Amino acid sequence: MGLLALGVFTLVDASTIVAPSSVNTVGPQAFPYAVGVLLVLTSLALFVDLARGRGGAAEEGEDVDPSATTDWPTVLKLTGSFAALVVLVEPLGWPIAATVLFAGAAWSLGARPWWRPVLVGAVLAFTTQVLFTQLLDLYLPAGPLEGVSFLG
Amino acid sequence: MGDFGALLDGFATALQPMYLLYALIGVTLGTAVGVLPGIGPAMTLALLLPLTYSLEPTAAFIMFAGIYYGGMYGGSTTSILLNAPGESSSIITALEGNRMAKAGRGSAALATAAIGSFVAGTIATVALTLVAPTIARLAVQLGPADYVALLVLAFLTVAAVLGSSPPRGIASLGIGLFLGLVGTDTLTGQQRFTLGLPALADGIDVVVVAVGVFAVGEALYVASRLRRGPIPLVPAGKGWMTKQDWSRSWKPWLRGTAIGFPIGTLPAGGAEVGTFLSYSAERKLSKHPEEFGKGAIEGVAGPEAANNASAAGVLVPLLTLGLPTSATAAILISAFQSYGIQPGPLLFQDESALIWALIASLYIGNVLLLVLNLPLVGIWVKLLQIPRPYLYAGILTFAALGSYSVGASTEDLVLLFLLGLLGWAMRNFGFPIAPAVVGLILGPIAEEQLRRALAISQGDATVLVTSPFAAVVYAALVVFLFLGWWLRRRQARTEAELAAVAATPAESERSSS
Repeated sequence: MGLLALGVFTLVDASTIVAPSSVNTVGPQAFPYAVGVLLVLTSLALFVDLARGRGGAAEEGEDVDPSATTDWPTVLKLTGSFAALVVLVEPLGWPIAATVLFAGAAWSLGARPWWRPVLVGAVLAFTTQVLFTQLLDLYLPAGPLEGVSFLG
Repeated sequence: MGDFGALLDGFATALQPMYLLYALIGVTLGTAVGVLPGIGPAMTLALLLPLTYSLEPTAAFIMFAGIYYGGMYGGSTTSILLNAPGESSSIITALEGNRMAKAGRGSAALATAAIGSFVAGTIATVALTLVAPTIARLAVQLGPADYVALLVLAFLTVAAVLGSSPPRGIASLGIGLFLGLVGTDTLTGQQRFTLGLPALADGIDVVVVAVGVFAVGEALYVASRLRRGPIPLVPAGKGWMTKQDWSRSWKPWLRGTAIGFPIGTLPAGGAEVGTFLSYSAERKLSKHPEEFGKGAIEGVAGPEAANNASAAGVLVPLLTLGLPTSATAAILISAFQSYGIQPGPLLFQDESALIWALIASLYIGNVLLLVLNLPLVGIWVKLLQIPRPYLYAGILTFAALGSYSVGASTEDLVLLFLLGLLGWAMRNFGFPIAPAVVGLILGPIAEEQLRRALAISQGDATVLVTSPFAAVVYAALVVFLFLGWWLRRRQARTEAELAAVAATPAESERSSS
């Protein structure tokens, strides 16, 4: 089923590529056409594969339980934590937003009690803030902590 | 002789205390991050890329060389002690190495892997030093049509060899090529596939894609099916390599190097093939074939050497032709590009000092790795025990940090997460990730060369095949694809045999109890 969705995705991909853009013979549209044709052909090949009953094997990994099915609540909680970072990083700054991200992600993955990931996240976020802004000269927003020495 | 002098100059640069320090930091960070489960060498490089943004090129590349070799090395520690390879090139190491660890000989396995990596890395770097400048000199004469041929070769072999099935590999490559198209066309200024969003007008940053599909994708994938319960870590054990271990290891080290380097050098994908070839060679030549599958030291020494030798070999097409043939090499090339340096035949002329300093630091990195790893194994083992929720939350945080610090834009973060979802979906449905990254990097180069070739010939497509070099490459492609098919069959057979060997002792244990 998932593969079917991906096949359709590839086709949709290709159809956007076929959207014409102007200019001369070997213009900017030639290569996209080639990529589009490639994508359509491979998605067809994958459909044939699938019809013959050769589905894809999910990737293996060190911490992956191959027999488990997708754990949607965890994925949603992770997505939420990440969305929180996107929303918070500008108003509240990196140290606070990253603490929220880390704590939220670790908690969703099963870290207990709740204050421990918050503590670890805060240490990590403040350390990276100091490291990046002071040692590496890269910009990270400090948010309300702007002006505090070593942070902004 | 000119090359030798240049190499000495390179050493003079790389041995300055400041640069030595950067090499040390690179090696340490590379190993530390590479050891972490779930993080392969490609992801290690992608995650650590931001650390070098503010450095000058020489320091940055010296650090990269360290991270590259360190990340390669870190992966083998993980596979020996955790019995689950993070990448296809450590499958074999995991197999024999983990059995050795279970038999209480973990430190001997780690030692033979470390020394084998050092031996192979050093010999292969010497070979790189000798081969690369010559190839670069020849490559200067290649025209755009020849490049198109080489790129087609790299595309098809990467897609066909990396991953489980060719259509899936090519689909992944296609996704990468598509992502490479997003942005403003370099020749006409036409915007393509930007959906009218200004954030996409400059194209998608390679770091964002690499970190997204590798790091965020991996974290999501693991999160969605996390293995609960204790970590099946095997203690490293005590003891050291015995005299017998040494005498059984040194030949596999050399043979592994001899097999791994040429395979890495080919401008075609599939560096891990060398580890399988080395393993089956060792099994045939061994005086103790019955030990294979139960923890034979040759089965760690040979493939691990082959793995590191091909890691150096991969740098040959990367530096001389600008062709990355593994995901890790693709990320290295994007690091070059971020400094405005385009790897290719002119690199040895234009950036000679930088390149020789890089090559010199590969030698130095190898020595540092050996010095660092033998005494520090205990620390790496502790890293393996980081509780998984914290580990993957950390990966997510650093992924966000890396792509946010590229341009301090929240659009990049959204993009990062979307690409992470893509990487997750690809993993879930069995699509290999590496061809997508290679496609993303090589796509724009291929397009440019193709259009240049056609512009010179005024639209006559036959120019693409009539150049003698290009014709030879296409002929070689046919041979490679056949060879690749043959190697895969061999690899599949080796795996089947391994499975059979692995199954037998388990059954006999059961029947005896």
